Amino acid sequence: MPTPAAPKNLVTQLVRAIQRRGVDYADVRFMRLLHESLVVEQGQVKTISLTESAGIGIRVLIHGSWGFASTPHLNLASLRRAAGQAIDLAKASASINKKLLRLAPVKPVKATHRSSWQIDPFTVPLSNKLDYLVWATSTLLGPKVIKRVTAHMDFHKYTKLFASTEGACIEQDIIESGAGLEVVAQHGNEVQLRSYPNSHRGALAQAGFEYVKQLDLVGGAKTIQSEVLQLLRAESPKPGLTTVVLDPTQVVMQLHESCGHPAELDRVLGQELSYAGGSFLTTDRLGKLRYGSDHVTIVADATLPGGVGSFGYDDEGVPAQRVELVRNGIFSAYLSSRESAGRLGLRASGGAMRAELWDVPPLVRMTNVNLEPGDATLDELLHDIKHGYLLSTNKSWSIDDRRLNFQFTTEIAWEIEHGKLGAIVKNPLYTGITPQFWGRCTGATDRATWKLWGVSNCAKGEPMQLMHVGHGAPYARFDGVAVAPAR
Amino acid sequence: MIGASKLLNELKQVVKRSQADATIVCAEASTRRVARFAYENIHQDLVQESLTVYVKVILNKRVGVAVTDTFERAGLARCLRAAQEIAKHAPPAKHLPALPGGHRLVTDEDVVQRTLQVPPEEFLKTLKRLFQLCQGAGAQLAGSFATGEDELAVANSNGVACYHASTVAGAKLVTMYRKLSGYASGIDRDISRLDLEPLLERALKQCLHRRDPVTLPVGTYEVILEPEAVAELVMWLGYIAFGAKSFQERTSFLAGRIGESLMARGISIVDDGTDPDGLRLPFDFEGVPKQRVPLIERGKASGIVYDSAYGLLYGRPSTGHAPPPTDTEGPIPSHLFMGPGAKRRDELIRSCRRGLLIPRFHYVSGLLNPREALMTGLTREGACLIEDGKLSAPITTMRFTQSLLEAFQHVLGISKERTLIADAIHDTGSAVMPTLHLAKFRFTGRSER
Repeated sequence: MPTPAAPKNLVTQLVRAIQRRGVDYADVRFMRLLHESLVVEQGQVKTISLTESAGIGIRVLIHGSWGFASTPHLNLASLRRAAGQAIDLAKASASINKKLLRLAPVKPVKATHRSSWQIDPFTVPLSNKLDYLVWATSTLLGPKVIKRVTAHMDFHKYTKLFASTEGACIEQDIIESGAGLEVVAQHGNEVQLRSYPNSHRGALAQAGFEYVKQLDLVGGAKTIQSEVLQLLRAESPKPGLTTVVLDPTQVVMQLHESCGHPAELDRVLGQELSYAGGSFLTTDRLGKLRYGSDHVTIVADATLPGGVGSFGYDDEGVPAQRVELVRNGIFSAYLSSRESAGRLGLRASGGAMRAELWDVPPLVRMTNVNLEPGDATLDELLHDIKHGYLLSTNKSWSIDDRRLNFQFTTEIAWEIEHGKLGAIVKNPLYTGITPQFWGRCTGATDRATWKLWGVSNCAKGEPMQLMHVGHGAPYARFDGVAVAPAR
Repeated sequence: MIGASKLLNELKQVVKRSQADATIVCAEASTRRVARFAYENIHQDLVQESLTVYVKVILNKRVGVAVTDTFERAGLARCLRAAQEIAKHAPPAKHLPALPGGHRLVTDEDVVQRTLQVPPEEFLKTLKRLFQLCQGAGAQLAGSFATGEDELAVANSNGVACYHASTVAGAKLVTMYRKLSGYASGIDRDISRLDLEPLLERALKQCLHRRDPVTLPVGTYEVILEPEAVAELVMWLGYIAFGAKSFQERTSFLAGRIGESLMARGISIVDDGTDPDGLRLPFDFEGVPKQRVPLIERGKASGIVYDSAYGLLYGRPSTGHAPPPTDTEGPIPSHLFMGPGAKRRDELIRSCRRGLLIPRFHYVSGLLNPREALMTGLTREGACLIEDGKLSAPITTMRFTQSLLEAFQHVLGISKERTLIADAIHDTGSAVMPTLHLAKFRFTGRSER
């Protein structure tokens, strides 16, 4: 679907027009998204769709209060109308707000940024993509107990143009590619699921079609077919306190729910209370709270090549940064915006503001929130475990409204006996309290095993925005963890 | 609002211009005014106007779908061309249901002018009053307040032309006082029927409790689940079990069990997109009128919902539950009703010697073991210990891990009163639910602050 270029003249004209209305600050954000989605089920095409969305979001600050409006109509009259709406909303809020917000400063820049890709996935013929998916699913079909096999690919192309009344003008082009497989098997009352290379729509990266080719869906299909058949006959874990090793796919979810979300400063300041809740990482704990053991260093890194939480500049023009959220176990920084950093009196924003689309304002979002690697090999990490479990591939997740009490299940686990991996275990569930759990982290594997994953379904805000965020992780070991069968 | 004639005319134009054997076009248009606030400050005030147009074409048994958010002729034409191009390159589908034909249903009876025309100053006045009342009680307030309008139109090359328009207004209020917080929410098509002061009063009552919260041991408790808590659980049942896809994949606990008693006789659950007590939407994304589908009848597994593709697979007509053309989750019920009982909510509380009152849950997941409807989730604001029929003390956060099939087999009472539960900002369907008194509910963890 050929699409028009970013309307730079229109955007800059609009910024000037808003400036003349006497606002304290305003930004205008053009965004266009092209999303291609292909789903093959049982060797048959389920859906092929192409979604195009383009428009402009206008955010204005007047007397310390925000107003936001948007329009898909890219003509000056519609844009002026939307700007007028945003101004009216900001004035209305200002009329009852008592606390006036102050933005942390940022140096306005004129810049461009382009993510890295070799093969633009939108230029690859549909038949090549479909052939690959049909081939991968056909590898999974066969055994009678296999009830469903699904293979999917997703490609996103973002064109962004940001301009502010402070003088910033930033253009960014980002391409993401992803793919995955899922197989469901059933025998009697037993139903099991396996995904490859990860659950919740596979793997996703800032890359071109070359990334999908590297994922080796066909090789992965053989592995998960074997595993799902074994899961139908497997035993459940024994309930009790034990040592668990999370593989990178499950560390992803642990980071996401128990570190990324509670470190969002807007949430800490109460701005998500009516929807997703608050955070235990209150401002009095910054720099003081022991969040985890010395093995735990967690960074939010928006500069990481390939991460779906990477960018050149965030959606309020702040340059991408690497921020240590937890340093050697101590809670040391937040994910922040210009507003939230200003509220806390910080010198600058942490650069974590992103909006899903043009029709919603940016919120504080995770970038790539990563657990730094340790220095062990996997064998060394397992070596002295008498009994425990290695857990892989998230199946379900739940955490309380302050991000303390969590419970996860994974698709599969393996018994660890005397330092060696043993039988496959079905329906594993583990639970804990965030700082206690991370406090029992007794090691992580090295850089060679560290892997960066993309999560495409991070929900936040009202209206709800689904954001793509990244998580890099090694294998990590935790002692004294409550494990039980999910039944 | 775009209006029925403009929306349907544009969609029909796309259908007319299509060179495919069959074409279906749907458009969803909505506007939301959303104010979010925390500690008596509005931190987000926005107007969101959104439009999504889906074009699905069938060409020599090959299907293509394209989506756009523009209503400009050039954009729609580009979208149609993209759908046709996809179809040309797609492999032929083995099982393709015929397009539904002939349904013409145009209605705006769910539009309330008062909601459409609420003046901005009225919107703000309402919030200001809530802030003042909360401050007067010595508590703090956070939450959201939203109004909006929605339109759905479907047209196809087989004569379908359907349009529905509606309005909505809703609020979520979180009150905070020292260690406690309270919550209340409300929703209505008509903003004048959304009385926020009683909601605030309810939330304040929860957080102004005279006692500090108590921490209870984990274990099995009698529970009284209020409508919002029941709605979250039943919506999860809808997602994991009441749709044809999970039934076919046999992950649904209904698979192979239709006609069996799975729950207590008092439990009846239906999906009915035509009932005005819910947020009705009388047709689906294929333009098929919605049927009333009994899912659980007096405790017995009764039925599931279909779209035309799954209907073809099972040799049944569609029940009017087709999702948008890009969806891969399959048909899911989104207008759920649980039948009422004989007692009043207060009677249920009075009849409880020792148990927990739970107004709503947080972060429920029904993906643990769908065959047993095993779910986990947490208590949130307003959860209270009941002793000798009275609310004795608020409780700190507790986690449940419970098979819903097991819990819904031991029902001690169901309230006469039912409440409409839905989100005015996110379209997640609606549920009309009573308060439910259950004999056993397993709590497996608690939060430590």
